[in-house]
Amino acid sequence: MNLLVFTKRVPATQEEELRIVDDGRRVDLSKVPFKVNDWDNYAVEAAVSIVEKAGGDVTAISLGDAESDDVLRRAIAMGAKDGFLVESSDAINDPMARACLLYNFLKKEAVPFDAIFTGVQSEDDQFASVGGILAAKLGLPFASMVIGIEAFEAGRAVIRRELEGGLQERVKLALPCVLGIQSGINEPRYVSIMGIKKASKVERKVFKAGTYREGVPGMIDLVRWVYPAKKGGAVMLQGEADGVCKELLGILKEKGVYQ
Amino acid sequence: MEDSSRLLTCIQCGRCTGSCPEAGRTAFNIRMMVRKRQFQRDIEAAIPWYCTSCGACTLRCPRDVKPSEVVIDVRSAFVEDGRIPVTVQKALENTYVQKNPWGRSRAKRGAWVEKAGVEIPHVGETASKRLLFTCCIQAYDPRCMVIPANVAALFSRAGYEFGVLGEEEACCGNEIRRIGETGLFDELREENAEVLKEYGVREVVALSPHCMNALRKEYGDLGIKVSHYTEVLARLIGEGALKFEGRYDHKVAYHDPCFLGKQNGVFEEPRSILRSVEGLELLEFARSRETSLCCEGGGGRMFFEVEETKGPRNSEVRAADAAQMGAEIIATACPFCLMTLEDAAKEKGQIVKDLSEILMEVL
Amino acid sequence: MQGASRHPEGERGVSMSYALVVAEVRRGFFEERNLDTIGLARLLGKEVKLLAPAGVACGSDDLSDAVIRAQVQETDFLSPLNMVRIIQKVIDTAGRPEAVLFTGSSSGIELASYAAGALNLPLITDVSGYDPEKGVFLKSYYSDKIFGEFKPREGTFAATVRSGSFKEQAVSKGAPAAETVLDAVETDPGRSFVEYVEEEKGAIDITKADFLLSVGRGIGSKDEIPAYEELADLLKAVLSASRPVIDKAWLPKPRQVGTSGKTVKPKVYFAMGISGAFQHIAGMKDSECIIAINKDPEAPIFQYAHYGFVGDANKLRDKMKDVLKG
Repeated sequence: MNLLVFTKRVPATQEEELRIVDDGRRVDLSKVPFKVNDWDNYAVEAAVSIVEKAGGDVTAISLGDAESDDVLRRAIAMGAKDGFLVESSDAINDPMARACLLYNFLKKEAVPFDAIFTGVQSEDDQFASVGGILAAKLGLPFASMVIGIEAFEAGRAVIRRELEGGLQERVKLALPCVLGIQSGINEPRYVSIMGIKKASKVERKVFKAGTYREGVPGMIDLVRWVYPAKKGGAVMLQGEADGVCKELLGILKEKGVYQ
Repeated sequence: MEDSSRLLTCIQCGRCTGSCPEAGRTAFNIRMMVRKRQFQRDIEAAIPWYCTSCGACTLRCPRDVKPSEVVIDVRSAFVEDGRIPVTVQKALENTYVQKNPWGRSRAKRGAWVEKAGVEIPHVGETASKRLLFTCCIQAYDPRCMVIPANVAALFSRAGYEFGVLGEEEACCGNEIRRIGETGLFDELREENAEVLKEYGVREVVALSPHCMNALRKEYGDLGIKVSHYTEVLARLIGEGALKFEGRYDHKVAYHDPCFLGKQNGVFEEPRSILRSVEGLELLEFARSRETSLCCEGGGGRMFFEVEETKGPRNSEVRAADAAQMGAEIIATACPFCLMTLEDAAKEKGQIVKDLSEILMEVL
Repeated sequence: MQGASRHPEGERGVSMSYALVVAEVRRGFFEERNLDTIGLARLLGKEVKLLAPAGVACGSDDLSDAVIRAQVQETDFLSPLNMVRIIQKVIDTAGRPEAVLFTGSSSGIELASYAAGALNLPLITDVSGYDPEKGVFLKSYYSDKIFGEFKPREGTFAATVRSGSFKEQAVSKGAPAAETVLDAVETDPGRSFVEYVEEEKGAIDITKADFLLSVGRGIGSKDEIPAYEELADLLKAVLSASRPVIDKAWLPKPRQVGTSGKTVKPKVYFAMGISGAFQHIAGMKDSECIIAINKDPEAPIFQYAHYGFVGDANKLRDKMKDVLKG
């Protein structure tokens, strides 16, 4: 079993106040710490768990800047056999461009695989699309929001995917396939600092993204960054309990948790 | 790695378990854990996480086995293996990224300074190169943020110069080392030590006994004097640099934090501070000083719940003890104790205050 | 392929006079979030053609200008491998649309990304705003802290639409939509639906819930819990709690939210009688929508909530039950 897992280094923006600079052209991430994309952590754990039981290898791949080596070492510390860095110093926003570049890379370098795992989405751009686009380009079956892997053998996989409101569906896919792994599918093992240091001894091959740019389209353009409409603090509901309840139900409906 | 020669000197006398705040209430048995380590037997995955790092076992061991360190070694093995409780994992990962276990923005670590009401310079700009070191909890929790602000105000009133590091400060790593993540502790220690060196810091006043412990005993010889703020305040009061005008007609029970009392021998200073306040009646718990009842907040317990316990939490017992003595207020000098005691105290109609809060009321 | 008449514009690939809305129908139910996709389609100012599997009701029949029926079962319709073939068939017969729109949901994102890859469509996901003058779409970054204004390049583009963003624009045209039936497509065996799996009622895992109704010390006593359980049932929410409630054993430990309990990120975190102690906040502050009910206007939880109400949680709970039942 040869599994590829895509992993991305993302800014840890949950707690930060972000500023737009350069006249709307750039978001200032200079003081923001970076970390591994949460979803990718689950994907690496899922892949490593499979090969631990069924034999095989996991290769971690990251498309990003030189610092993305961090997430490759992390994956290796978790049990991946090796890591490939497709180095690009610019952030490529368009998921189509990212997927096409990766497609070119996989083809040109003839990377063998039985399945490709990605995280459902990355915490920064939240496009949630690279896996699906790549699968289509490769002509492979695809499923995202995978919350359970029930069977994974030569030729087929049976998975459960998350729908809304607690409902799931069981789906069968032919292998090779591409899976978008959802958070919560497993409990990723902890990777200690010493473990990451040890992983540095394993070679991470570096490839230049420029080599695979041929035919990679730019299909969407970022015009500018903007701040969300001012929200201030909590919207405090006022009035009689009756009216407040109706307002609350309206909010719940809008959020899609109550019909 | 464990010093096996120390392990082998254990005579299984059981004084450790006898003083353990988790013994009897939970399945945690430190004497037995040391025994298992002597014979290199497996230890059940959840048990090592019950320890609160109070240090009572190490204090009372007649053979210098240092059982607290045995727990840390056992935890290290689990950490390197990657199999640790999810909540503890999160705390470690947060610390790795944001340098505090709550995962709050490092950039906001110094934000409390704006609410302090006094001018606070960067330690690099001071003549004394005296650093006021904040605990992660105090930097981010609105309830505890008043403590650094109070101490800053008290020091200013006493004309005692100090500065802060703001976002250049990282978690001291005391809890991180107790959790067994040695690699992460080393990184924090190196980072903080470098920053201290960069600004020529000569003295550190820690606002939390945990930070004081790490900086004083586990950072190696930095050539820097490390004190807890109560040691400083006690001296300032004694010298007459700090005087209080108001009265505080309340019965106050002082709770000795484990890292201040048991582990670092600071018992008198907090008491002398309280005695200097007019009208304040200082009460002593039956279990005080070296035998103070651990609040169960340390040793990573902020991030780990013991599933099965018999009887009430120690914090509830403490609140009940205080009520029984007729105390109105439980005073302490540690943010961990403050947070863990407050919840239980509310139920019993008790109020928990940091020493600095009492002092601010009589300033 | 040959028999059906092909739209002349389809051959040239020009036209783009319509917006294709891929309906999300699951277990015969026309999802409410389809209104957001229809709403955006209306904003694009084109004729709206709704694509749906055969034999299912699609809301009121006047929401779109046309309905195209694909002759596949609902579960085959939702397979990305088949959807590509279906959309290609639509293009062959009706010409290229300006846009192919999908719901912002588990199936929507699968279908949209796969279709974009197969048909080479510019793709913008989680669209929550549109400026018709500038022709830009608003897309969330960094969990809604920043938004990017994106513009697709020429040709048909694809998008998934965030639910709740364009519902108001889904106005009916007054006249019922014209229905056409699409020629059959062969389904791709590479992926097949096996069955639906309902949530297990056994072990509680609050981290997997979309909607948490969370109670705190402020509810007063254990006797109040059954009424909250009832409310949770009515709302289809999962009950959770802050530490004091768990400590008192009013609810079991797996339901605890906080640093020593579980960290949750549901779509909605509805906190009743919870003040917002630091360790609790750490366990839920990344919830998409936090609603807080507390008697104390100074309760720290209001600093983290998106919506708040100062009042008695138990009284509000009873009112909600009345409104839901009545």
